[in-house]
Amino acid sequence: MGIDLKIAWRNIWRNRRRSILTILAIAFACLLLVFMLSFQLGSYADMIRFSLRIHTGHLQIKADGYQKDKDIRKVVSDPGAVAEILQAQPGVADYTFRANAFSLLSSHDRTYGVMVSGIDPQREARVTTIKHVIRQGAYLSGGDNNEAIIGNLLAENLKVGAGDEMVLLGQARDGSVAASMLTVTGIFSSGQTDMDRSVALITLDTFDRLYFMRGAVHEVVAVCPALGDVKPAQAAVQKALDGLKTRRHLRVWNWQELIPGLLQGIKIDFFSGIIFYMIMVIVVAFSILNTFLMAVFERTREFGVLLALGVTHGRLTRLLLLESSFLCAVGMVAGITGGALITLYFQQNGIHISGASEILKSYGLPEVLRPRLSWVTIISGPAVVFAVTFLTALYPALRARKLKPAAAMHAA
Amino acid sequence: MYRQLAWRNIWRNPKRTAVILTAVVIGVWSMIFLGGVMAGMYDAMIENQLSALTGHIQIHHPDYRNDPVVEYSINDPAIVANALQRVLPPGAVRADRVRVSAIAQNARHSAGITMVGIQPEKEAEISFIGQAVTEGRFIKNEQDDYGIVIGRALAEDFETKIGKKLILMSQGADGEIQSRAFRIVGIYQAQMQATEKAYVFVSLPAAQDMLKMGNAISEVAVLLPDRGATGQVVSALRERLPQNRYEVAGFRELMPLITAQVELWDTFMILWYVVIFVAMGFGITNTILMAVMERIREFGLVKSLGMRPRQIVALVLMEGSLLLALGILIGNLTGFASIWALAQRGIDLSVFAAGAERFSIPRIIYPTIHMSDVIRANLVVLVLGILVSLYPAIRAARITPVEALTKT
Amino acid sequence: MVMNIVETRNVKKVYNQGKVQVEALRGVSLEIEKGAFIALAGPSGSGKTTLLNIIGGLDGMDEGSVSVEDNDIGAMSQSDLARLRLNRIGFIFQAYNLVPVLSAEENVEFIMLLQGIPGAERRDRARTILDEVGLENMYNRRPAELSGGQQQRVAVARAIVSNPAIVLADEPTANLDSATGESLLGLMRRMNEDKQVTFVFSTHDKMVMDQARRLVYLKDGRIEDDMA
Repeated sequence: MGIDLKIAWRNIWRNRRRSILTILAIAFACLLLVFMLSFQLGSYADMIRFSLRIHTGHLQIKADGYQKDKDIRKVVSDPGAVAEILQAQPGVADYTFRANAFSLLSSHDRTYGVMVSGIDPQREARVTTIKHVIRQGAYLSGGDNNEAIIGNLLAENLKVGAGDEMVLLGQARDGSVAASMLTVTGIFSSGQTDMDRSVALITLDTFDRLYFMRGAVHEVVAVCPALGDVKPAQAAVQKALDGLKTRRHLRVWNWQELIPGLLQGIKIDFFSGIIFYMIMVIVVAFSILNTFLMAVFERTREFGVLLALGVTHGRLTRLLLLESSFLCAVGMVAGITGGALITLYFQQNGIHISGASEILKSYGLPEVLRPRLSWVTIISGPAVVFAVTFLTALYPALRARKLKPAAAMHAA
Repeated sequence: MYRQLAWRNIWRNPKRTAVILTAVVIGVWSMIFLGGVMAGMYDAMIENQLSALTGHIQIHHPDYRNDPVVEYSINDPAIVANALQRVLPPGAVRADRVRVSAIAQNARHSAGITMVGIQPEKEAEISFIGQAVTEGRFIKNEQDDYGIVIGRALAEDFETKIGKKLILMSQGADGEIQSRAFRIVGIYQAQMQATEKAYVFVSLPAAQDMLKMGNAISEVAVLLPDRGATGQVVSALRERLPQNRYEVAGFRELMPLITAQVELWDTFMILWYVVIFVAMGFGITNTILMAVMERIREFGLVKSLGMRPRQIVALVLMEGSLLLALGILIGNLTGFASIWALAQRGIDLSVFAAGAERFSIPRIIYPTIHMSDVIRANLVVLVLGILVSLYPAIRAARITPVEALTKT
Repeated sequence: MVMNIVETRNVKKVYNQGKVQVEALRGVSLEIEKGAFIALAGPSGSGKTTLLNIIGGLDGMDEGSVSVEDNDIGAMSQSDLARLRLNRIGFIFQAYNLVPVLSAEENVEFIMLLQGIPGAERRDRARTILDEVGLENMYNRRPAELSGGQQQRVAVARAIVSNPAIVLADEPTANLDSATGESLLGLMRRMNEDKQVTFVFSTHDKMVMDQARRLVYLKDGRIEDDMA
């Protein structure tokens, strides 16, 4: 094998310009794929984290039917029992409780319909990032205190700031009127338009009193240590819940079920990316096919001699494939190195797309995008390039099998 | 003469030429075809948005778009109507609307929605709602005091149907919360579920009456016979309507998000053209270089016969250009053909409906051809292609007769 | 009794050149004894090279049979033929045809490598044979750095080194000046005598014909004369 390697390696450099151009084409494809896949997968991870950690969490436990119509009477009546189940689950890192009611919120001269949610401030801060996106004033303190934090867009619409008062008007669990004066203690800006425009958060204790919840909640929101833990944790928790004796059956929803658009949107983007990449790789393949073809055609005579010397056709094919693999390997190493360096640079410094922050926000993305280099992004693109290049090289290499030694030797 | 010589040279090695031609054809095809899919997507997005209550031009109170409340209404619609009458080209249509956020409520459910008071006949000419009612009927006329048309998704959420009551609540012109019960007369379907959940339609007088607005309106929407005339009409209207009292906006300003998204994708497509070009550029350079290097003897000969280096460069560039032109031609034809074939049925994204909606992509994309995109793609390939042929051309021109003779 | 290393029986070969059929061999029967030093002579197109190629299994025949060391060439598969060439037949070509990317030593070693001979032995044998053909100081030169005569000496070394039963040489001296050609022929003659390797040449060269111990004269695809 040693001499085959030697022959292949030296043959590549017999035609330096041609080999360099071919290597550059392969390197270009690898570089682009490493960077683009790191960029795409990095954005998806950000998108998922950003979307889930601000509010949704990985898993939510709700009474049957609540997911569809948010009826205030469809409650989780014994949150303590659910908490015990979650506590025992290694696949669940933490959890919090929420209760929600659609209500009217009025300031001095404006009225809007909003989703009022009661949260446990301490628990919520461990599960979601809401505490860290307070832009004005302060986060909720605990207890029954008539405090509220609202989104920045809602604050603009209502024309209120921290310290201002609002009137809440809604319907309690028992059908009675829930009404109270609330003080805006803080304004948050999550970057998610829906949430910033139409959500007001109060403490769970306040909510319980105003809406007459008698200790019940509407959702138990849980986060898992990693995305991969979500499915098994969901199954385990569901099994435990099924054994619970409650008036309403409880169901666990995972994030994909809670925000179906998120994963599907990612899929659309990912698959369209794949189509673009495949086309590029095919163009590159045809771009370099000529190098491989020429490597066979212009050396017909040489191959004739090798055959005459007793080299088998199989070995000749292997020799040619070895040459192509060398070219490809050099290109891949160069491309992967370049792609990884570029990716690492932007991973450090971030990518700012000027004027696109509104669009990014509407996709659930932060303003600064960061590609993320991983083994998957380093290996998968170049692996496809290698496979396609190999297939491309196979055609001319197999043609060499048809060479007749006598005729080949007398070829020009 | 050059052209003939170049053409014959290209076909001296037909297999090699065919290979590089395939690379160029696939590259150009992908530019034309994917460009067509993208164009189909933008067009649908813009059209959806235009028919979803935007129109080409809207006129509001200057503060309304920032803060769409009843307080910022147009209180003298007659002045606007007068200006429109003088400025609008024949064939243009317009409709007055009341549009405010409100709360919809029935016995069991409540949600925030946008309440739109419309002039039924005129509205039907401007926005999607005229054709969208799939169950029951549209708002009958301006006297249809208690009829309301809601989206199917909202009806499902509210577990309600035609004939049932729905209560709307919103802040009136007097600052008080006003409410009124409507009866559901029709249910409509829209491209996007979000639309179905967001908009409910009542008659204009009913809305004005409920909100105690007199004859004030929130907006006037205008649909022109030709989208391209928007800028011109907008400036004419701005001249006639004092800016401190009226704001006139064209559709690009009305949907900044989609405009920005289209621009972002457009930039992306140009990058894509360049990427694909680079991918085939290496092959073009390489193939022409091979063709040059195996003809070293020939170039040495013609040079010793007195052909000037510049003429050799011209000959090689001609070979490159012919190759590119042929590739571009076939690429365009296959691109057009595949767009045409797909445009009949469209690309159905319903499997990913929720995801498409998240990115405001229509559920079915009908690819279409924007000539400017096609020209741009072809120019990229042709100009850059000739540029990369320059290297082998210059290499050929530098061949000396001596080098040519020592080469076997 | 002298053993025949090659026997051809009524070998016929037709080439289709476009619409024209060229009868390269019209029935050649030839026996070559072990240890021969034989030249095939004749004008261009007389069928010399075709006959050599068929004997070496590089080209097929249309009729007749060829055996090399009792192997029926016509009945063997491509890979069996390759194995036969590798172990029993050496080739020398008019245009030297060394592997351009390998040095003189590596070109010689290449055959032994294919035969599976271990590295140290390969090196020893390659150097010994290169010394024998007079290329002591040129082990590491690539073909492009050697003169025509030196390249052809490497080719002889390559053909001999694997201890073949027979060496087929197609116009080995045609590209060389007469002095170089003569010394090369002397080299081959020495190999023939020292190592008992059978040599079959095709040639135009008067000097080669004079040195041959047997001269077979071909014309129009037939044997015209066979002189010992």
